[in-house]
Amino acid sequence: MNADNEGMMVGELLLRHGISRRGFIKYCTAVASAMALPPWMGPAMAEQLRSAPRPCVVYLSFQECTGCLESLTRSFAPTIEDLIFNTISLDYNDTLMAAAGAAAESARAKAMKENFGKYVLVVDGSVPTGAGGAYCAAGGRSAVDTLREAAKGAAAIVCVGTCASFGGIAFADPNPTSAWPVSAIVEDKPIVNVSGCPPIPEVMTGTLLQFFSTGQVPDLDEHRRPKVFFGNTIHDRCYRRPFYDQGKFAKSFDDEGARNGWCLYELGCKGPTTYNACATVKWNGGVSFPIQSGHGCIGCSEPGFWDKGSFYSPLSAPAWGKAGEVAPRHVLELVGGAAAAGVVLGAASAGMSRLRQHEREQRADTDPKGS
Amino acid sequence: MSRLADIPIRIEGLARPPGPAASGGLGGGVAALLMELASLLERLAKTQLPAAIDLRSLPMSAADRSELERVLGEGEVRATIQAEGLSVLRETRMSGVWWVEHRGAQGELVAESLEVAQVPAILASAPDEIAAAARALRERLSSGAAEPGRTLQGESDERRQ
Repeated sequence: MNADNEGMMVGELLLRHGISRRGFIKYCTAVASAMALPPWMGPAMAEQLRSAPRPCVVYLSFQECTGCLESLTRSFAPTIEDLIFNTISLDYNDTLMAAAGAAAESARAKAMKENFGKYVLVVDGSVPTGAGGAYCAAGGRSAVDTLREAAKGAAAIVCVGTCASFGGIAFADPNPTSAWPVSAIVEDKPIVNVSGCPPIPEVMTGTLLQFFSTGQVPDLDEHRRPKVFFGNTIHDRCYRRPFYDQGKFAKSFDDEGARNGWCLYELGCKGPTTYNACATVKWNGGVSFPIQSGHGCIGCSEPGFWDKGSFYSPLSAPAWGKAGEVAPRHVLELVGGAAAAGVVLGAASAGMSRLRQHEREQRADTDPKGS
Repeated sequence: MSRLADIPIRIEGLARPPGPAASGGLGGGVAALLMELASLLERLAKTQLPAAIDLRSLPMSAADRSELERVLGEGEVRATIQAEGLSVLRETRMSGVWWVEHRGAQGELVAESLEVAQVPAILASAPDEIAAAARALRERLSSGAAEPGRTLQGESDERRQ
């Protein structure tokens, strides 16, 4: 990581790694374009960052699968975002750092002390609070304690992935570890949720870059996600949308409709209720995204997506939640089976999910905000 | 389905119904874009304030795009930058309007814009880099003076031999 980088400006560090000013302006211009920011913002961000001190990032991994970190660091080729994030900014990440054990923990303590009030805390994974936090511990400390301590000196917290943002799979029914999202535990810091399972790497790095260059968290939606990336549904920006509007739907994954690229709504696509940038930023360097590859969206950037029923049931299907659970009558009355009712029903489905989430919160045996 | 060749392929973006562009006029999107460019050029002439339009954020069909290219045309200057991939900056026939394409290390298009400026800012050398270059050159000259025969000219002579 960055032992030799102390006290240096970002511009100097980039030059040292062979990235010229023009190369960096290009990169920031591309990020600004991906974020739909005004075109002048790219060069402005570049100049601002070049003359800024090296940002400090502390990355904590809790109850997670490391898919988010894979998404962030496994590009086709070494990229500038990888360099800025991994080589220049990152002071602590127990997966990537060479140090281990007491040396790693002391590196984290040092970075947090020296950059108190200024560092960005990136959290990956949900935080289990059951059994006194024993389900996830490192260095003899529970995840929940580590999070509370690290949050104290953070300028902002960026939750990477659906687990840190909304609890993810660990939070799903029956939530055996009493897992919670970061926002249920830390209440006094700006929190940005970059959800997705995993999130799109450009969305993660764009969010960090904007914070580094402006010192401000971006505009957020009701789930604290950056509006620039989560402002539209997948369905809004889907290239198959015209087929939805014309009522042309694939009925199975190998029928004529599927071969013709028709809408995947009836095969369970959750695009109408899912807010993310997959349809525009895409994946693997802009190559494709799930719907373009012939599979419906599974809604992985939405709260509670694991508990919203089968990935292969249409949003208009009359059952949500765990097997056997039946939607209440007032929701069932909305269900006509017609795809055109999908958006309304999707909203109803999301409402149901929130209701169940609320019920689970009532049931949970551990208070996440308790000390 | 037994073979890859059995999968039907359809190319998107070509089956657009012919719009006004096909009949000799300008498509609505292109006309609006040109009007914006005209305003930005007038502002540049008066105030020297540069501006840019992100082409990737505009939904343009292939026909709209070629219409825009046809109207703006090709100017006298074409510059390339090799930094983290190729960038091509072309001045159009409308002086002050530059068509800027940035490509990544794999050749993929990462940003495309129309810049309205005397010269796109990315081409100019930055003051801090100019100062650093001056320092580096002075150091080279002074170390060359300290070692007889190791002037800049001497180095290039050595390389030729």
